[in-house]
Amino acid sequence: MTEVKVKKESTDPVDIENRIKELCLQFPHGITDQVIQNDMPHVEVQQRAMAINRLLSVGQLDLLKNSNGLLYRLKDAQSASKVKGSDNQEKLVYQIIEDAGNKGIWTRDIRYKSNLPLTEINKILKNLESKKLIKAVKSVAASKKKVYMLYNLQPDRSVTGGAWYSDQDFESEFVEVLNQQCFKFLQSKAEAARDSKQSPMVQRNSSFATSHEVWKYICELGISKVDLSMEDIETILNTLIFDGKVEMTIIAAKEGTVGSVDGQMKLYRGVNPIIQPTGLVKIPCGLCPVFDDCHEGGEISPSNCVYMAEWLDF
Amino acid sequence: MTTQEVRLCGLLLQEHFGNVVEKVGTHLIRSGVLTLRALAHETKLPLDLVKKSLCVLVQHGMCTFGAGRRGPAGPVEYRINCEHVFHMLRYPRYIYTAKSLYGDTGELIVEEILQRGHMTMSSTVKTVADRLTHNMPEGQSMDYSEVVSVFSQLVETHFLQRCPPLASAGSSSSGAVDTPLPVATQPTEPESHPDCYKLPYINLTGQGKRRRSSEDGEADQCAAKKARTDNSECGDDDGIYWQVNFQRFHLHFRDQAIISAVSCKLDQSSSEIVRTMLRMSEVTTPAHAAFTQALSANEIFRALLSRSPDARPILDQYLSLLVDDPMEFVGKTGDSGGGMYVVNLHRALANLARATLESVVQERFGSRSARIFRLLLRKRHLEQKQVEDFAMIPAKEAKDMLYKLLSENLVQLQEIPKTPDYAPSRTFYLYTVNQLPTARLLLQHCYKTVGNLIERRLYETKENKRLLEKSQRIEAILASLQATGAEAAQLTEVEEMITVPERQQLESLRHHINKLDSSENQVDETIFLLKSYINSTQASR
Repeated sequence: MTEVKVKKESTDPVDIENRIKELCLQFPHGITDQVIQNDMPHVEVQQRAMAINRLLSVGQLDLLKNSNGLLYRLKDAQSASKVKGSDNQEKLVYQIIEDAGNKGIWTRDIRYKSNLPLTEINKILKNLESKKLIKAVKSVAASKKKVYMLYNLQPDRSVTGGAWYSDQDFESEFVEVLNQQCFKFLQSKAEAARDSKQSPMVQRNSSFATSHEVWKYICELGISKVDLSMEDIETILNTLIFDGKVEMTIIAAKEGTVGSVDGQMKLYRGVNPIIQPTGLVKIPCGLCPVFDDCHEGGEISPSNCVYMAEWLDF
Repeated sequence: MTTQEVRLCGLLLQEHFGNVVEKVGTHLIRSGVLTLRALAHETKLPLDLVKKSLCVLVQHGMCTFGAGRRGPAGPVEYRINCEHVFHMLRYPRYIYTAKSLYGDTGELIVEEILQRGHMTMSSTVKTVADRLTHNMPEGQSMDYSEVVSVFSQLVETHFLQRCPPLASAGSSSSGAVDTPLPVATQPTEPESHPDCYKLPYINLTGQGKRRRSSEDGEADQCAAKKARTDNSECGDDDGIYWQVNFQRFHLHFRDQAIISAVSCKLDQSSSEIVRTMLRMSEVTTPAHAAFTQALSANEIFRALLSRSPDARPILDQYLSLLVDDPMEFVGKTGDSGGGMYVVNLHRALANLARATLESVVQERFGSRSARIFRLLLRKRHLEQKQVEDFAMIPAKEAKDMLYKLLSENLVQLQEIPKTPDYAPSRTFYLYTVNQLPTARLLLQHCYKTVGNLIERRLYETKENKRLLEKSQRIEAILASLQATGAEAAQLTEVEEMITVPERQQLESLRHHINKLDSSENQVDETIFLLKSYINSTQASR
């Protein structure tokens, strides 16, 4: 009787790795240990573990954890090539930073997630920065805080502050200029409506401008280097409301009309103040910085008030 | 009564009535209610002086008296109405309003009654006619009937009203029934008297007498001034005294403020409509109502037709524009009669007070602080970060401005703790503005300011007393010389007694005093707006 030699499948480690890689390609979301076991039942646990570790160390496999257990996923070829040549720690840090997306992550958080000592982290970060894999972005909320993110990512608005900040400095002149321009636009529109001498309803309606119109006007003016969205213009118009120069109403608009957001449109109109500067402020006492210290017979009194003397001679 | 109010009352009383009345008045304000004996004892003045001062104050309606705490059997107690004293600040405005509405005659009538406090109709008419005749060219004189007609117009529109009769006056003749005196705590409202606005039936015919310049003029205001009994016979309306209805004037001022606000915000035609609406509901709306009576669009249209023929649809458009305006001056309450509209008085006053507060902050601290202030008024409660974001002001500057406003008490801080111990790191700090307390604060500032202005005026006058006396003497000499027909050379010689720098000094003094006077009136406008807002808010609570 011939001995049936059950030909054992080659337990060549490379074959195991390739099989695992093929399995990963089959299941792009990731495969569990169970799946590998099912596919290659003859492979022993140790060999399987060795193959997986090798793939991980080479950087071709990603180890993830989900609620059921561990998942192995094929790593993107490009990103695999990037971290070639870095050691495990660097890869770990890089991974953490990548996960943070475009909000960036702070050094302390990296330390918590990776459990590496601070000195190591700093060395690794410097390394990665020199390799141009990550970059540091200063946060506008706390000026000393630096967050790290991948090199080619655009930082999120909450970090840089959006259109009003350039290099972490609030651009007040820019805001002022925009403020003036919007106000002038609305004011001229209101005046044109008033001079048209039509029926009052038409007059009022034509003095309104939608936020979309203002946005278009500002874009065409070209005073802004940065692209401004309609929300930015609306924040500027809100400051005009708080200056008391402009009022706003909201009307319902059909979906799809230009400039409407969720079926509403905001209309703005230049207005005049309802009273002249009040009587109290025409007197030096109304504006006096030492008003509370002033009484008859004291150091500061109406009789010897310097401000009053100057004002009376005016 | 706050310190500032007492101080202002004292200054006003001193200026109008003299030192004695001022002493009595301020003491009475400070103590609240006092009997005559207590008052005399505490002010250490002789009893008859105190009596005369109280007479003056009662005559002008500033002091009321009544049965005291011990009931009708005990001594009478007196108290001062501070609000009435503050009305003295506003006399020029009342007179000016009467002039603009009813011409010179109206102006003089109101001026006379303000000066005297209470007057009968016949004496008023005679005095005013005499004054008008004095200013007219030779040969003409003012007829009593014209003055009477203006007087009756003033009464019809409720600018003048009868003084409320005192219960004791009716029973003085018959001693049989002792009608109880009104309790001091409840002064009789003039309007509760049914004949408040009824003109007495008197026969006044005649014309004003021209006064020769050599005759003495009316006695000037001195400390213990009583109503001067006329030389003429007692008129038929003895005992019926008239006083100025301050409340009516205040309503008029309030209407004026609302109309001017509407014309600033919208346009002239809208303000005309609001003016018509207010005029139509002048006498029907109670004093502190939040809304006027509802008026239908048809009525408004008919009333407007008398002014300018506005087409009906245009009127409707204007009314709907007024209703839609965010300031909410006019509201629509129904659809009958083409739409029922009311003027939102309380809302309008609140808006005006708010604009006043904003303008004070703007002038005092700058437009960016004003932006923060308005932002907090609209959004009620905000954290510091949110304030910076909404106002688009750099963080450092915003912080600085907020703290400055906080130190001036215009902005308040509200703490909301996250944990029971108010640990600063775990508490929300919200900035907020409360309109009513801030208005009260500014009102006190205004009172202090007016006090300062009056004191400065007195100081300036005192400093230059010598110069003023000299110039008065020179003028008297000049007048007498002119009367006796002196030559031009003598006149110039006398005039040159005042040197040029002295003349300049006099000129600048006059300029200063005028400026201080007019600024008192300006601050009074602010006082009026804030006070009406505070009263209206309290009445609506």
